[in-house]
Amino acid sequence: MSMLSTVSDYLPFVPKPRPQFVTENGARVHGLIAEYASAPEVFHAAEKIRDAGYTKWDVHAPFPIHGIEHAMGHKKTILPYIVFSIALGGAFLGWLMQYWMTAVDYTGFTVQGKPYGAWEPFTMIIFELGVLHAAFASLIGMLMLNGLPRWNHPLFSSERFLSASQGGFIIGIEATDKSFDPEATRKLLEETGGTDIEIIEDED
Amino acid sequence: MIRITREIDPIVTAQPSPAVHGEGPVMTDDHYEKCLAAIAAEPALQGENVRLPESAGAGLRGGLAVLGVACLALTALGAVVHSPAHALASFEVGVFVLLAICLGSLFFTMLFQAMNAYWPVTLRRQMEHAAGLIWLPLLGMLAVIVIELLSSVFTGHGVLFQWLDENPGYLLDHKDGYLNLGGLLVRFVIYGAIWLFLARSILSMSLEQDATGSREITRAIRRRASWGLLAFALSVAFASFDFLMSLDYRFYSTMWGVYFFAGAAMSALAVTTITFSVLRLTGRLTGVVTDEHYHDLGKLLFAFGACFWAYIAFSQYFLIWYGNIPEETAFYLYRKQGGWEHLSMILVIGHFIIPFLILISRKVKRNVLFAAVMAAYLLIFQVLDMIWIIRPMAYVNAESPAGPGSWWIDVVAAVGALALFASFMMRSLVSAPLIPMKDPRLGRTLEHKNYV
Repeated sequence: MSMLSTVSDYLPFVPKPRPQFVTENGARVHGLIAEYASAPEVFHAAEKIRDAGYTKWDVHAPFPIHGIEHAMGHKKTILPYIVFSIALGGAFLGWLMQYWMTAVDYTGFTVQGKPYGAWEPFTMIIFELGVLHAAFASLIGMLMLNGLPRWNHPLFSSERFLSASQGGFIIGIEATDKSFDPEATRKLLEETGGTDIEIIEDED
Repeated sequence: MIRITREIDPIVTAQPSPAVHGEGPVMTDDHYEKCLAAIAAEPALQGENVRLPESAGAGLRGGLAVLGVACLALTALGAVVHSPAHALASFEVGVFVLLAICLGSLFFTMLFQAMNAYWPVTLRRQMEHAAGLIWLPLLGMLAVIVIELLSSVFTGHGVLFQWLDENPGYLLDHKDGYLNLGGLLVRFVIYGAIWLFLARSILSMSLEQDATGSREITRAIRRRASWGLLAFALSVAFASFDFLMSLDYRFYSTMWGVYFFAGAAMSALAVTTITFSVLRLTGRLTGVVTDEHYHDLGKLLFAFGACFWAYIAFSQYFLIWYGNIPEETAFYLYRKQGGWEHLSMILVIGHFIIPFLILISRKVKRNVLFAAVMAAYLLIFQVLDMIWIIRPMAYVNAESPAGPGSWWIDVVAAVGALALFASFMMRSLVSAPLIPMKDPRLGRTLEHKNYV
């Protein structure tokens, strides 16, 4: 369920799962946001929400807060493994291309008495293609893991959320989180010191 | 601008400087004293945590010294049992492993000081100690020269240095202005003077700062380290030409100096890692040398031990392979036959692929024990690398090539050299605090953290 909603967020042609929670207007609930007074407050609130077992939520602040990734319980990214395997694939492609060209397809031409398919001159291009694929994999992989690029985000409909770029400290919990419950989550946000709790509607 | 650089205190160059606007030094002496007082009050920097008792490891220290001397005696025995060329080559392997450790430590000490680095301050003292032991490999190099000299006087040719022979070949005619005994002696004295002066004076200044806490000392070391790095680069390159590349006087490679340097930097990092792992595993330096420092130390070990070495070694091989000039390719041909082809493959796999795949991991770098195991592993590969460079030349030169199974001479020579080094290193460990106690950057070092 959660996986499908992530994919459908990212790819518009994948139908979204049926909404679990709807507002009075019948619109899908994206989630709840709450505002906090200061960076320390939002930091400690994040620790409590992490301990309550939420996974699909985020902290928005006007500046980077050191250590917030630990307070939020972020796991280390899997991006390095993606990059490493794609880089290895790219390096293999580099070898295959050169081997096929010099030792299979066109072998009538000896250069400096070197054997066909000698690995030494291939190394540079193998390395370069490995690096090229690693660079593409890290950029595109980073964007995809972040759910980017996308046209819009439901949170942008909230004036309160937009204040996070100037002075507001906002925590938003998404309704697709498996621990999400309209009453319990609202209560958790209140207990951790959140004020002005707002329901965010999804646009479709 | 010159006036401004003089007035900026070494410990605050990272901050915007009011001195730029002509308001004088950014840190008053008063402020500096407060900074030192804060360091002195730091609970992690008290007593046993940063200082070993005089008697620590005294038995082990003595045992290692005995082991070292015994192993070197066995190496000398190898000269009788097998061939003098083989034994001298093995001895030179041991000497150059130690030289690599000491020179690499000197390099990092000077680099950290010249760059005003704050994260490795707590690691620096043991590097200074290792660099201060440079007299040990220098004695070994002197012994090599003396043996070659005696051999040349009494038999008319060198043991390993073929270029000492009366008329070895046409190719020496172009080089004998450089490759001759007088030149070697003069250059050896210059190398020794540069290394001893830099290593011993930086160590003694650092120890003096432990007592006085003078801010002038930080500046003085930084000045010395800055020109010292240049002198270091040239002397290391030429020393590696004189003692390693000249083993085959026909051969030349422009990558040679940096190849030896790559191994030196790696060996120094390996020894530093092992030293601190022993200290940390025995309960010292809690909160002083942390996983964060190990992470960065491991990054350097990864960079120099796997990547940089492979880059330099491959570049050297690749250019010679493509160029296909006989006096250059001979170097690799010797190492592709007679059993050396196995060692060549072991180096490619064990010195590059395996440490690359293991040390790339964050967990390994941040673990005291894993890091020490990888450091010891890489130190063994420095020994193998030196064997790969030096030992095939004994085959080429000796009248009777060393037979199979004679590798025990290499083992005892390397073990002997490393045991002696370890013994003197342990003596240095107990002689002073384990870290620079009054370095003004110490406060920032303790807070060091890797955010990624």
